Order: sequence, then C-alpha cells, then structure tokens
Amino acid sequence: MTPDYLTSWLRKWANNISAQEIRDSYRQRLQQAEADEAQTADATPDNGEGASNPGGEPDEEEPAESSSAAAERSRKRKRNQEDAIAKIKKGKADKKTKKKKKGSDDDSDFEDVMDMYKKKKPLPGQLSNCELCNRRFTVTPYSKAGPDGGLLCTPCGKEMAKEAKATEKTNKPTVRKGRRKIESNRLDGLTFRGAKTLQQLCIETLAKYSEDIEELGDMPEPIMNRLSEIFSKKRAMNSTTFKLFLQSDRSTVAIHEAAYLETEDYDQIFAFVPGIKTLSLRNCCQFKDENMDFMIEKAKKLVDIQLLGANLVTNDKWIDLFISRGKDLRSLKLEWLDAAFDDQAVQALVEFCPNLQRLKLERCKQFGVDSIDAISRLQNLEHLTLCFHQDIPRKNIASMILSVGAKLQTLCLDGFVNSEDEPSDDLLIAIHDTCTSLSKLRFNNNNECSDAGYVNLFTDWSNPPLRYIDVNSTRDVDNVNPDGPEDFPVGVASDGFTALMAHSGSRLEFLDVSSCRHISQSTFASIFNPEKTYPHLREINLSFCPVVDTEIVAGIFRSCPNIKKVVTFGCFEVKDVIVPRDIVLIGAPKAQDAIEQFGQVFMDFQKEAQKELMGRVVPTAA
Amino acid sequence: MGQTPTEYVTLVSNDGFEFKVLRSAACIAGTIKKALDPHSGFREVAENRVDLPTINGVVLEKVCEYLYYNQKHAESKEVPDMEIQPELCLELLIAADYLDV
Repeated sequence: MTPDYLTSWLRKWANNISAQEIRDSYRQRLQQAEADEAQTADATPDNGEGASNPGGEPDEEEPAESSSAAAERSRKRKRNQEDAIAKIKKGKADKKTKKKKKGSDDDSDFEDVMDMYKKKKPLPGQLSNCELCNRRFTVTPYSKAGPDGGLLCTPCGKEMAKEAKATEKTNKPTVRKGRRKIESNRLDGLTFRGAKTLQQLCIETLAKYSEDIEELGDMPEPIMNRLSEIFSKKRAMNSTTFKLFLQSDRSTVAIHEAAYLETEDYDQIFAFVPGIKTLSLRNCCQFKDENMDFMIEKAKKLVDIQLLGANLVTNDKWIDLFISRGKDLRSLKLEWLDAAFDDQAVQALVEFCPNLQRLKLERCKQFGVDSIDAISRLQNLEHLTLCFHQDIPRKNIASMILSVGAKLQTLCLDGFVNSEDEPSDDLLIAIHDTCTSLSKLRFNNNNECSDAGYVNLFTDWSNPPLRYIDVNSTRDVDNVNPDGPEDFPVGVASDGFTALMAHSGSRLEFLDVSSCRHISQSTFASIFNPEKTYPHLREINLSFCPVVDTEIVAGIFRSCPNIKKVVTFGCFEVKDVIVPRDIVLIGAPKAQDAIEQFGQVFMDFQKEAQKELMGRVVPTAA
Repeated sequence: MGQTPTEYVTLVSNDGFEFKVLRSAACIAGTIKKALDPHSGFREVAENRVDLPTINGVVLEKVCEYLYYNQKHAESKEVPDMEIQPELCLELLIAADYLDV
C-alpha cells in the first residue's frame, strides 16, 4: 500500500461514492500492489501465503515473516512498506485466531485494512461516519463522542448536547430550586416538619392560577383572608384578581398588598361591597381624595379602617372622613403617612370619633405633641399603638397614659425621640398606677427608664399577668461606655427581668428581650432553670443578649414545654445546641451553621411529657 | 361501643363512592377524627363509616390521596408539594376547610 492509494481512497470517500464501489476499487488496487511487491520482493509470496493460510498456525507466521524481512533488509527503499505490511499481518493474525474465520485472500486483507482504519480515531480534518446517523462528516476538534465511544456528526452532537443539558436541568433544580424559599419559609416558621396542610396547598395552587379564576364562590372568611394574604405575597393582587375578593354579601375587604391597584379600582370596592364594615388596604399608594369621597358616600357601615401608605389623601380629606363617619368608627389603623395627617387631623379624629376603641398610628411623621394631648381625651380606647417620630416631652405621654390607661388592653409605645429629658421612670409609674387590664405591652426602643423602674412596674402591679411583652432595645446607648452606668442600669436589666417573669411568667406567650444587654447570665440561668416552668411561652427572642449561652437555651427548652421558636441572633456563646424536635432555634452565630436549626431529637423530657399525655389517653381509649 | 376499632374505615362521598382508608390516615383530618372518636358515641364509631354529604367522589378521592401523602411525609423534612389540578382546587379547598386538614 502506498500513500497514493490512501489519498485517492480518501478522496473517493469524500466524494460520497458508494461503499461497494470503493470496496471493489480498493480490492483491485490492493491486489495490484501485492502483485507489484511480488515482482520486486522475494518475501511477498510469504505474505500472500500468510494471509491466505486460513487453517495454518498463525503464530508461526511471524518468525517466517521476520526472517524474510531480515533477508530483505538491504533494500532500504522497500523497508517502510514491509513494516506496514508486517503490522497488518500481525493484527490480522491476532484477529484470525479469535474469529477462526475462513475467507478469500482479498477479503481478509481488505478487512484488515479496514480494521486498521476503524481502530484509529479520526483526527480533526479527517472524515468519519457518525455513530448515530451513519452520515459521513468531517471531524473537527469539537466533534462530540457518541454513547459507544465513536464520533458524532455536528447535528447529532448538538442533539446529544441538548439532551445532556435537559437531563442536567431536570436533575439540578430538585436540589437547588426553591432553596431560598425554603429558608425564608423556615424563618417565617411556616414549614416545620411533615407536609403542608391541604388548605395551604390548595391556596398556593389557586394563587398560581390566579389569572384563570373567574369566581371564588362562597368561601369562609378565614380562607378568604388567607387567600388574600397569599395572593398579596405572590404579587398576584392586581386590578383583575382583586375583584375576586369583592363579594357583595361580605362585610370585609382585606387587600394586604394593594400597590398594583389603580385609583379607579378603589372605587369598585365600595361600589361592589356597599355593606362593607372592615376595610384593610396595605400599600394603597393610589388611594386618593376622590376615593375617600366615594367611600364616605357609599360605605355607610364602615367601622374598621386600616390604611397603610395612603399618602395621596390630604389633611382636609382625613378631617372630612372623621366628620362624616366618625361616630361609627371603632377602629382606625394608619401607617406610613409622611405628607399629611398632622396634629389637626388627630384633633379632628378625637373630636368626631368618640367611640374609637382601637387606634394605631405608626410611622406617621406629622404626628406631634398636640396629637398626644388630643388622644388623652379618647375615653373608650382599649388598644393603643403609637410609634413616635417627633420629639415629644415625656410628661405629655405620661399624662396621656394616666387619662386613657385604665381601659387599655393593649399598649404599644415604640421608640421615643427625646433629646431633653433625663432618664426617669415616670412613664412606668404611670403605667403601673393606671393600667389594670393590659394583656399586651410593647415598650421598646428607648433608653428612658431605669432597671429600678421596671422592677417597680412589675412588682405589686394590680394588672393580671400579661400575654405578650416586648421590651426589646431598652438600654443605654453610649459607645464610650457600652456596659451602661453600672450602679444605675438603664433599660430592662437583671432585676427588672426577674420581676417581669415573676409577674407574668405564668401566662406569658410571647417575650422579646432582644438587645437588653444588661441582663446577666446568672439571671437568665435562674429564671430558666428546670424547677420553673412557663407553660404558655411559645416564642422568645433573646437576640443580642451577649451572655445567653448554650446552657440558657437548653434551660429554655426544658422549662417552657410549649416553646416553638427561640431566636438568638448575635448570641455567640450558643454553640452546638441539640434542638429538641418541634422547636426551631433561629440565629446560629457561626456562618457555616444553618441559620435555623430544627429540632430532630426526641428528648427524654419530651418523652416523659408524651408518656404522661398518653397515660391519660390510653386507658380511656382502651 | 365496645367494639375494637378496625384498621380501616370507610369514607363515603355524596355520590356514593366509598373509600376504604387506614384509620390512622383518616384521622389526620380533624373532622373525621372527631367523628370517629370512641367517646363521642356517634353512629360513625359503631359503623366505622363516615358519610360526607358535602363532598363528591372526585374531591374525596383527592382528599384520600392527601391523607396518605400527609401520613407518608409526617416525619420527613422538605416535603415535595402534592400536585393539585387547578380545576379541583376551589372545591378541594372548601372540603379541606370542612374536614380541617
């Protein structure tokens, strides 16, 4: 075989001549080549014999071959050819022993040549048959390998790559998809263990198909509200879908995320639901004066209004609302009002809404001292939540508490901005002396009151034990002196906390003492020791109390049988806690730990509790 | 009364389909659990059979699927959501509310 054969052979293939033709012509050339060799070399008969010796011993061929080759060594010209042929023979001999195949000279020779070509993978630039579609194609460095190791033509290669990608895609997301959502749900305390409720699954599916729903039909009120919440959360509440929640026979409309609604949409609420009693719109940015007018005109039965971010309503319109609807109003919650709703509006509110029981004004920037004085005159208030933005002298707040405090069930005072007054406990004294029916107290984000003040508040207080206490961030803020004044602790510190738990521990369900930095380790340890139990406590936040350590967290697990959630952001001493099951510990300080740890272990004390429970149930069941 | 509780109970839809379900699974639904509470003295206890006249067969089938799905995944974390056909969703939601699952 000479290089000429090879090139012409390849060229023929490149021109797509049929395999049969190629085989025939190649056979011819091979025969000719061997004939040529027979003329020029004595060894060629051996070659032919070896190739055509089907029954003979193939192993003997080699010595014969090599001896003949040695005899021909002088003819350097032919040497390369000889070697090539010897190689072919050797390969063929191996094959023959395996296959024991009988065939003609030419055929077997041809097969040998073919084998040699097959075995080598074609290099870039050469031609090959596609493993899948059998087409001829030029090999490139980018040619893909087929499933059996051969090469693929470009279209088949692309197809393969696509499939590979598709399978990769289907494989990957099951691991990664929604990881962030799962984490977010965990922090919300939503997913715990086991499956979601069927209601939750249905509502989520509904939200997914929100555009296709024509009507929700007759749903119970809590489910409607839940649907609205999920629609809002998924940002599916728009001009079309929000109409699902307007049903003429209902008394409540609650749109928790109204940012996509236009001004006209708000009118529809009052047109569709004239009997509306409770209105709750959050982020109702496009709620304007004209909507307020329409509401005043149509919604004659409104008693409960909650608007968040209704910044396009002017001061005068608020006053109009109170003048015309004030007598009926029982509850008013306004949040995030920057431009309007000033002291005048609050005064009108107090003037015209004498029956108001629930008032919440949070993050209303225009709200000042006169408003506080006005609120003092609301005699029927039961729930009061105020978040301060302006500098308000403490004595005004104290006098407000003194005049409305007796009936209050909820009192939330968030964040004083008070630049002048020295810390003093008169607010706590006022609460202690006037409030006797509180169940929820939020008194947070200030450095007004001393530890002694809190002790005084929670000692001999005629108010029954509270259900909800939030005193977070009550501490002295002074970067120079981070521990605060030592002999005069500001904010809830050890003694105050002890008094608090002594007063309310028996009924307490929610406790937030985050950033109360002056509560000592020993105080925590003695409060949450196994001897004491806080049977109703469900949630506790101890974040940024640096002394909280593993022992204290473990103590909480034991002394609070109903605890569900423990938050310990920034508590660096909490390490390697074993979280009992059905409890979530949020805020592990080490970055490599999961931020929340779900209880897996069924602890001994839980087993005992379970046994007790079972002990009670089993005999009766049997 | 006085009968030993059977392993399976029967849930009956308003169009007459009967579903034999493990008692433990059926009792995941609060309403069914109460109906089958041995102390209630309800007829359901004696018959081990709960008639659900407000739920049709198609929906009840899905409910049963959910009950087993819930039981299967009771102890596992990060449970994959069960597929719910959107056309069933509203009816199923009302049924779920009624059954307290």
